[in-house]
Amino acid sequence: MIRFEQVSKIYSNGVKGLDNVTLDIEQGEFVAIIGLSGAGKSTLLRSINRMHGITGGSLTVDGVDVTKLKGKELRKFRRKIGMIFQSFNLITRTTVINNVLTSRVPDLPWWRSLLGIYRKEDKIAALEALDKVGILDKAYSRVDQLSGGQQQRVALARTLAQNPSIILADEPVAALDPVTAKQVMDDFRHINREMKITVIINIHHVDLALDYADRVIGIRAGKIVYDGPASQVDEKVLSSIYNGQEYGKMEAVQ
Amino acid sequence: MKNRTITLSNGKTVEQPRSHKLAVCILLLAALALSVRVTGFQMSVLIRGGYRFFDILKQMVPPDIDYLDHVWGPLFDTIKMSILGSAAGAVLAVPFSVLASSNIVKNRGIIGAVRIFYSIVRTLPTLVTALIATYIFGLGTFAGTIAIGVFTFSYVGKLLYEQIETVDMGAYEAMEALGADRFHAFLYSVVPQILPGYISNCLFCFEGNVRYAAILGYVGAGGLGLIINEKVGWREYDKVGMILVTLFGAVVIIEFISHQIRKRLT
Repeated sequence: MIRFEQVSKIYSNGVKGLDNVTLDIEQGEFVAIIGLSGAGKSTLLRSINRMHGITGGSLTVDGVDVTKLKGKELRKFRRKIGMIFQSFNLITRTTVINNVLTSRVPDLPWWRSLLGIYRKEDKIAALEALDKVGILDKAYSRVDQLSGGQQQRVALARTLAQNPSIILADEPVAALDPVTAKQVMDDFRHINREMKITVIINIHHVDLALDYADRVIGIRAGKIVYDGPASQVDEKVLSSIYNGQEYGKMEAVQ
Repeated sequence: MKNRTITLSNGKTVEQPRSHKLAVCILLLAALALSVRVTGFQMSVLIRGGYRFFDILKQMVPPDIDYLDHVWGPLFDTIKMSILGSAAGAVLAVPFSVLASSNIVKNRGIIGAVRIFYSIVRTLPTLVTALIATYIFGLGTFAGTIAIGVFTFSYVGKLLYEQIETVDMGAYEAMEALGADRFHAFLYSVVPQILPGYISNCLFCFEGNVRYAAILGYVGAGGLGLIINEKVGWREYDKVGMILVTLFGAVVIIEFISHQIRKRLT
């Protein structure tokens, strides 16, 4: 379980990234975080694996105080949290399987990690992860030869190969066309339901958020303004999240 | 100067910015005139004395084929100095360049210190480095190897840290997020991106080093320069011709091989 208690984050320039955020996320939930650009979605997501530090309150993941972690402990803690990025963050000039295998590097003996010699079990884990996202046949293709959707699946496989219990996805479909975006969202749903992995997604597409997530968290200027089931999100809720401004996909709420 | 205005048929106007071409041409011509004056360049001297250059060239032809047996030794010394010096300098540059990259090291003091060090080393002319090296290590190819190594270090090093800074840090971020330490994150995300360019730069530097190494003998640092210096002194231009032809052949072969490898890298 992820527990935020009165968490705040004030940047060095005085901007409030998070403002007194309190929330619990149970294991196995599928959560979408929506809000305007700059509202604090990324800060919220990235504070969970300490890619961003918080300045106030307490944040625990499965009882572990995230703010107190450092060095080796922090790296060990991050092993069970997968992360997916908007721009995939893959090494494009190498093969798909080499990208997936990088998530096994921290568990290798030092001489193996120095030379990049993986064990057979690592290769099997990587290939099984690729199979789960349906691109096993691309294992030995170069990443830069794949489409955007396929690249995001490679990133998903990389995350699955580290056996995470939580996956954090920061705008995972923002760089994809609508059809591909749906396919990647299907992958997330599949991973969430079959493997009971907690999935937390930052997303700009309200319609996708409502279609796929069980729970929606709306954030505005660092504050949580909505936290509830996706089915109860209506126009009024959206208008409060988006400051009364137009929020793109009106048809989704009909 | 006023901008020219273009009017469309519907009355809308667009201002076309003035071109600076004319001003730039005038400036360039002025700079040329100034440099002729400063350097004391005189066309008449070139016309009166220039033909002597061709006299010497003519004496190099035909080259003295029999002298070839004496060229091999120094030629291989030259190539040996280039290979060893290039390899040592290029390897030594790696840790320094990592420390000079602002996306990897966050301490501005370290970055600045390493970069200034690189600049100082780069300013040293190779011939001067070689001369100093002969004082320290004695005459011979070892001094030449050191000089080539120092030059390669500063040249490859600068290119390398500039390359590291243009790398896409996304994969590095991903490695950190999945629990890798900074060393492994660098090894697995930055190294694959810079390796082809780094090897290509090393080979390119090595190509040039073969030519530099050929003159280091002038200060006693071994190789072809030694016998070029000697034969020019004795005015045995046919032998100088033979040395130059051999060097030319070696450089062409090395550049061809290096070029082929570099083509496959990118």
